[in-house]
Amino acid sequence: MIAALAFYLFAAILIASAVMVVTARNPVHSVLFLILAFFNAAALFLIAGAEFLAMILVIVYVGAVAVLFLFVVMMLDIDFARLREGFQRYAPIGAIIGGILFLELLLVLSGWSFADQADDLRLSPNPGASVTNAAALGRILYTDYVYLFQLAGLILLVAMIGAIVLTHRERAGTKRQDIAVQVARSGSVVLEEVPVGAGIKALGIRRPPEPEAEPPKVTHDAHHGGHH
Amino acid sequence: MFVGAIFFPLLGACISGFLGRWIGDKAAQWSTVICMVLAAICGSLAFGQVALSGHPVTVEIVTWMDVGGLEFAWALRYDTLAAVMVAMVTFISTLIHLYSVGYMSHDETPSRFFAYLSLFTFMMLMLVTADNLAQLFFGWEGVGLASYLLIGYWYDRESANRAAMKAFIVNRVGDVSFMLGVALTFYVFGSIEFDTIFAAVPQHLEDRFGGIPALELIGVLLFIGACGKSAQLGLHTWLPDAMEGPTPVSALIHAATMVTAGVFLVCRMSPVFEYAPTALAVVTVVGASTALFAATIGCVQNDIKRVIAYSTCSQLGYMFFAAGVGAYQVAMFHLFTHAFFKALLFLGAGSVIHAMSDEQDIRKMGGIWSKIPITYAVMWIGNLALAGIPFFAGYYSKDAILEAAFASHSGVGMYAFLCGMIAAFLTAFYSWRLLILTFHGAPRADHHTMEHVHESPAVMLIPLLLLAVGAVLTGYIFAPLFIGEHEHGFWHGAILNAEHNHILHAMHEVPAWVPLAPTVMGIGGIALAYVFYMLAPGIPGRLATAFRGLYLFLLNKWYFDELYDAIFVRPARRLAMVFWKTGDAQIIDGMPNGAASLAVGVARGAVRIQTGRVANYAFAMIIGLVVFVSLFLIGR
Amino acid sequence: MTWTLALPELVLAIAGLVILVAGVLPKQETFFPVSMACIGSLLLAAVLVLGQPEGTALGGHYVADDFSGFMKLLAIGGAAIGILLSLDYNTKEGLGRFEFPLLMLLATIGMMVMISANDLLSLYLGLELLSLPLYVIAAFNRDSARSAEAGLKYFVLGALASGLLLYGSSLVYGFAGTTNFDRLADAFSADSGVTAGVVVGIVFVIAGLAFKVSAVPFHMWTPDVYEGAPTPVTAFFAAAPKVAAIALLARVLVGPFGDLAGQWQQVITLVSLGSMTLGGFAAIGQRNIKRLMAYSSIGHVGYALMGLAVANDVGLRGLLVYMAIYVAMNLGTFAVLIAMRRKGRAVEQVEDLAGLGRTDLGTAVWMAVFMFSMAGIPPLAGFFGKLYVFLAAVQAGFWTLAVVGVLTSVVSAYYYLRIVKVMFFDAPAGALDPAPASLTVVMAASGLFTLFFVLWPAPLLAAAQAAAAALLG
Repeated sequence: MIAALAFYLFAAILIASAVMVVTARNPVHSVLFLILAFFNAAALFLIAGAEFLAMILVIVYVGAVAVLFLFVVMMLDIDFARLREGFQRYAPIGAIIGGILFLELLLVLSGWSFADQADDLRLSPNPGASVTNAAALGRILYTDYVYLFQLAGLILLVAMIGAIVLTHRERAGTKRQDIAVQVARSGSVVLEEVPVGAGIKALGIRRPPEPEAEPPKVTHDAHHGGHH
Repeated sequence: MFVGAIFFPLLGACISGFLGRWIGDKAAQWSTVICMVLAAICGSLAFGQVALSGHPVTVEIVTWMDVGGLEFAWALRYDTLAAVMVAMVTFISTLIHLYSVGYMSHDETPSRFFAYLSLFTFMMLMLVTADNLAQLFFGWEGVGLASYLLIGYWYDRESANRAAMKAFIVNRVGDVSFMLGVALTFYVFGSIEFDTIFAAVPQHLEDRFGGIPALELIGVLLFIGACGKSAQLGLHTWLPDAMEGPTPVSALIHAATMVTAGVFLVCRMSPVFEYAPTALAVVTVVGASTALFAATIGCVQNDIKRVIAYSTCSQLGYMFFAAGVGAYQVAMFHLFTHAFFKALLFLGAGSVIHAMSDEQDIRKMGGIWSKIPITYAVMWIGNLALAGIPFFAGYYSKDAILEAAFASHSGVGMYAFLCGMIAAFLTAFYSWRLLILTFHGAPRADHHTMEHVHESPAVMLIPLLLLAVGAVLTGYIFAPLFIGEHEHGFWHGAILNAEHNHILHAMHEVPAWVPLAPTVMGIGGIALAYVFYMLAPGIPGRLATAFRGLYLFLLNKWYFDELYDAIFVRPARRLAMVFWKTGDAQIIDGMPNGAASLAVGVARGAVRIQTGRVANYAFAMIIGLVVFVSLFLIGR
Repeated sequence: MTWTLALPELVLAIAGLVILVAGVLPKQETFFPVSMACIGSLLLAAVLVLGQPEGTALGGHYVADDFSGFMKLLAIGGAAIGILLSLDYNTKEGLGRFEFPLLMLLATIGMMVMISANDLLSLYLGLELLSLPLYVIAAFNRDSARSAEAGLKYFVLGALASGLLLYGSSLVYGFAGTTNFDRLADAFSADSGVTAGVVVGIVFVIAGLAFKVSAVPFHMWTPDVYEGAPTPVTAFFAAAPKVAAIALLARVLVGPFGDLAGQWQQVITLVSLGSMTLGGFAAIGQRNIKRLMAYSSIGHVGYALMGLAVANDVGLRGLLVYMAIYVAMNLGTFAVLIAMRRKGRAVEQVEDLAGLGRTDLGTAVWMAVFMFSMAGIPPLAGFFGKLYVFLAAVQAGFWTLAVVGVLTSVVSAYYYLRIVKVMFFDAPAGALDPAPASLTVVMAASGLFTLFFVLWPAPLLAAAQAAAAALLG
């Protein structure tokens, strides 16, 4: 009874906050509602007995992903008013389409039934209280699902390569640290003893010597230059 | 031998096309000619073995496709029907290759021309020796492609490009129907191999498709395809324009061989057509109407090649209605003799054009018969044969066609007979009009041109003379074989006449006046032309003024081009204007094709959804999804 | 553990990792050697695919049969040639970075996983492993706003499509309690029938996959992305991933959902009709040839799906043959498009081809061959692709599909022939730069295939036949 009540409570909040994520005017509010949604989803997991997933959801999604979102939203000055321009125009037809889809799904789900052998077909049922959640997951993740696990790893690798490829590039007007050059500079750095208490009035502003001009990057030019 | 006849032209085409640049134009030309000579020898030998000795064979080259329900091979089906065509095509093509050596001597890229010409010959041979509808279709499209390339050979001429496009597009209309016919054949018979189809025809007599007897529908669909290729009424508009190509091309493709592919198809499918009486009636009516219609136009045209082109159209009509009344053998006979004298006429015309420094308008010729006597003589022979004057080739075949039409004793048969009679009269008339205006009377060309009038070189005259011999003798020699007493042994079952079809027998028992009538008509036509253009040259002009409407109607080819323009091209354009206000001139780009402009309209609409906004795209996806889900839930 | 069955994928993945490390370490740019290494590993994988035994492995997530072999070879071939096509272009455009071929290689692993998927989960992971590199290489030219826009659009819409696919999968799982294809087939063949939700789930799955093959109405991204992405990327998009997605669609629908064919056939029929029609008409007004090819590829997918709509062995064979021929023609065409450079700059308008027949006859002739073939003019290969699907449709009584297919192929012939006309009959717009050897080789190879397929189609047909039979079980 209490479990059912808790389920409906969390589920209701989850849906309500999901709706708010989409409709909130202020993007920061959107992200905050998203975090609320994550918490409720975690609660639902808890009710279902999946403690590990619940904790992971809170740690990864709330702790990392959502906070990252928050940073991005606050750092980038996105003009959401402009993004919404088309929204008003398409709102009616969008509402109609959405409504139809919603009704259809409602229709479908209300008449839901399970396959006769659905319970037998289930590959990895809940092992019960004898094994912890994490252990149960680990047992199948590294045995039956090792193929998928490795694939997921490859996907993450691709994501990493992609992120580097798309952001790590030479742009005009950016400066980068070249450690080798810094180390090689050591000869031109001079240590001087300055009189104590003299101040800049007496000594004037001392500037470091101008760095040598960088040698032209020949190899770089061979790949990038001239063909555009 | 059997394989050689088909593949020597391909070899020639490859040599000339791919190696032409290295071995030089001369070598390329002569290598194709030699390949053609070899092919002609093989073709004649094959004709001897298959048709005269009665040993039909099928040479299987390689299994083409062998999967699932569809199974057929690359095979050369040599029965009499194919052997006749192979012998005729290789022989005429050889002569035309030879002739072209002289005719194209001033051209810049003769190796390209000869490669196309040989390629065409190969495709045509592929068509006639096909063992199944797919291979036939391969050849069918191949000759279409070669014809497109050859009509547009002088691609720097705008008119040649237009004519090539027109030929291609009009032919595609027929091809769609042909493809549907093939598809329906496969649907009904479960096979597209001739042997299987022909054997299965009796079991499928009662089959219906959409309420229509399936065999009739197949017949009509294939016939519409044949109409496109053979320039029958409705789809004929491309043929006169195709005269933009070099004259040897007109002779080979648009007179002797490719345009007869439609007739060949009807004869090849005779076992199906025999059980499709309505389809045959359609063939007869369209053929007869074309024969008459094209002849009327031929009487007023002024371009020497167009006159002959319309006469080709008209003669093809004869062949179709002969096939339509069930006398396929007679149709093939006329096809055979016609190839000789029509090639002769075209090459003769080419010789005249060559002599007159590329002038094609017969109003600007005249008085040159003494300067080019050989050309003059062969043109006489060609025209005598065309007009059906006794003992020339055309006499035997045309007479037989008209007798067959008369003997069929059906309404459409009589209609065909009447049309044929009038057309015979008109044929003789315009042939002699052409002859007289071209060669007789006072010279109407300028002084400069007249000085240069000269007989063509030997390399052009030899083919002319050989064809002239053919135009005189083929009728007499081959009549007994094709349609006479040896007919049964000669065809050897290559053409099927059903139980109820006694036409070949009946045509010999018509009243005595029927065989005489065409000759009388022919001589009458000649006499009228003589009166009009030799004795009283003023009459035609006065007639033209008196019946101005009729004259213009004929001169403008019954306004067919204008009609198509009004029916297809303009409304589509107007529609496009209403929808999109601004003209699409840039995209239509002079394409004389109404369907295109309509399509452009639809295209605009489709592209307009493409706004470039991600949200819209996503929205479109969701709408599509909702539509599908709804369809499902409603459909359940 | 029968992991050795997945040897091609394993080898390719390990090769990818090794190449990644080897490409990162040297100081100078390693684009060329990495490309070569990638092509080499793809060929090695192809050889391994040829020698692959049949069976299922890895917890039932992976299946190898004739069908997967056929499609994998096609996908690997497409990918290898795709890398080959990019060599010259990328160097000239300043995109010569070693990650490019490597991403293509990783995408190829994704394709192979998709093709061999025997579970909704491996299906989804394969799809993502394919998509992610594609998003990145679409935006590879970061200095070009169009390229970045293309990548972003593809990414956003692709995420939506993935969402649909996952939602559909969850509905199916909810009904059957399993995601394994074999068990799903059991569940759906039960006499008690299926709930409406499963059918809706299938529609969602089809929608997600239709997005990848760019079938109407999930095609909207195609023209923009094809136009914006660097041309070799477009070439890659149009060939290999399409094969994989079509293969996946065929496997899912014919395999686990085979008993529900009556339900999904209508959807596929509609999608096919829409794609053929749009592909036929929308390309007419295009002046940018990459955009034109985008619509053309939408149309081709429509024809291919016609074979799937028929859903018997003849139809599937038609589908497979169509895809094989389509890939060959398409790579050849794109080799020509990539070779379109004037004075060192890439050009991509139809008018830029004007007079190519006079300035560069060889390229023009190959292009004409491809265009004629795409228009379905016999005796070129493209005609046979169409012939087989049309035959299948006619045999099975799908007359609407066949008739619309014939009509739209006539319409589409217009724009293909227009390109031929522009090349041979229009006044030259100035000579293009001579095509590099890597491109002419690809042109000639696929051109010869297109030309001479007619003479010896039996091996391909037999392979397709065996593959279709394997799929139908």
